[in-house]
Amino acid sequence: MDSTERIQAASSFLLQSPPGEINDVLNDVRTIISDDDLLQEGVLPALREYNIAQFITVDVPGTDHQSIVSEAARIAGEEEDEERFVDPRSKTSFRFDHLTLEASDPQEVEPNEDTEPLRAALETSALTYLSSHYHGGVSAVFATPESNQFTVQIVANKYNPSNFWAGRWRSEYIINLDSHTITGKVLVNVHYYEQGNVQLSTSHDLSLSLPAAVVTSAPPASASKIFALIESEETKYQTSLNDSYHEMGEKTFKGLRRALPMTRQKLDWDKVLGYKLGAELAASKGVFGNA
Amino acid sequence: MADLVDSMLDLMRRLPPTRVEENVAALVGICPDYADDLLGSVDQPLQILTDRATGKEYLACDYNRDGESYRSPWSNEYDPPLDDGTTPTPKLRKLEITANEAFDTYREMYYEGGVSSVYLWDLDDGGFAGVVLFKKVMNPSTTDEPSGSWDSIHVFEASERGRQAHYKLTSTIMLQLVTRHNGDSENKEDALPIGSSGKKPANEGWKKDGEVNLSGSMTRQTEQDCPLHEASSHITNTGKMIEEMEIKMRNLLQEVYFGKTRDIVYDLRSVDDLDKARRQRELQKELVGFIKR
Repeated sequence: MDSTERIQAASSFLLQSPPGEINDVLNDVRTIISDDDLLQEGVLPALREYNIAQFITVDVPGTDHQSIVSEAARIAGEEEDEERFVDPRSKTSFRFDHLTLEASDPQEVEPNEDTEPLRAALETSALTYLSSHYHGGVSAVFATPESNQFTVQIVANKYNPSNFWAGRWRSEYIINLDSHTITGKVLVNVHYYEQGNVQLSTSHDLSLSLPAAVVTSAPPASASKIFALIESEETKYQTSLNDSYHEMGEKTFKGLRRALPMTRQKLDWDKVLGYKLGAELAASKGVFGNA
Repeated sequence: MADLVDSMLDLMRRLPPTRVEENVAALVGICPDYADDLLGSVDQPLQILTDRATGKEYLACDYNRDGESYRSPWSNEYDPPLDDGTTPTPKLRKLEITANEAFDTYREMYYEGGVSSVYLWDLDDGGFAGVVLFKKVMNPSTTDEPSGSWDSIHVFEASERGRQAHYKLTSTIMLQLVTRHNGDSENKEDALPIGSSGKKPANEGWKKDGEVNLSGSMTRQTEQDCPLHEASSHITNTGKMIEEMEIKMRNLLQEVYFGKTRDIVYDLRSVDDLDKARRQRELQKELVGFIKR
């Protein structure tokens, strides 16, 4: 493999990292590629892509809260080598190091005065919602005045390497006041890796129409109604996940392999050996087990 | 370069099980010299092939591969044919035939379908080793029903010590479960086309698509001494060990897949209102304090 292909493979591994394990994957990749100079230059785009797609959280300089690094947070029009992200809550923009995950060079950002009242109201509702339903979640609300849209993002991470598991929940809702719709996406990833590697990966897309009353209300009322819809959708989704679990357990898991044979007894191996397969076997079910 | 192989194995333990084949191929491309180490230590989903001589299905893995060909346990033939393909000695082949029959019975009893294969080979120290494979795939009858696959790979080493035999068993089970939902077929009455003036309240969801994919593998090892009366005792001994192991691992898989991963989702998000619960707890504390006073 030439160096381009090696970087491609390394980038693909990094993009597949389970929640909270990007550094472990990077360490493995370093040993496997064993060319730090090549890697350092080559995998930065993959790290950036991973951080943005995975809603990586960042401590915003000069504040005591975290914000989300994502496509919605990216300040449009910036060159990639001096790319900046915004934290609308503290009205701060910052540079972000995709390797160390640290923010630097904070600058004040002037919010759009037309959209800020509803954006701020959505943010307040988001924080209330977060504390009601998430264990240590982070959220951010972005306004896109040009298209009359607001983007709500939520991410919750739990990393427990000493017990070999990690999980991430991501939600994104785009509220469009022109088309009166909310389009949303919920993604859940879980990795359990004690003497194995088991992963849950779910995706859920939804679209809702916004009642006219919600759009025309005052910002605080409108925001709390929007979050009532989001809360109901997410709770419905989480409940439907339970149904999927139940269905996969009852139908598929049991259908793949029985807990015990029809006879409800383990096989009598001496008798299994004594009999030939085929019709003879089918005709003598009593052979199995000691009953 | 133990470090390198360790790193490759650590990586495979972290990357999505659904992409194991693609990732193993990429690693082999980066480190072709370590292809054998990797292919010998990373379990990949078993391939189902059909024996040209008997028409019976069998399973392909690294243990019945010689070059690009795979040996069928039913006819002992390689496909594509090989003139000098490795086959077990006649004595071991005899045991292999019986083992295939026995584990085929086991497969029918527990899997009620699927495919099984057993391959045996001699070891340099005089003992022998083998692999017992089971695979079952379930395809949904409708798009909304879950699909799934189960691959069991039991590798064992047997050494004879007089009238006793010692067995070392390493078992891996790969299990994949997938549910797809799409709003259109899930609930036709609920689906409300854009711009329609349906009777449903406007805040009702009109489109939902999703997928739930639970997949992975777990590995366990065990060792055991068993009495050895005759050659076929190896089959009853390994049969019992594998049966025990599969029962144990099926319980484990059930616990991890349907218990553990679900609990982690609930560790991220709670269906119940946490603030309400917090307030209730505080109120309770106050009451307890009040009563104590």
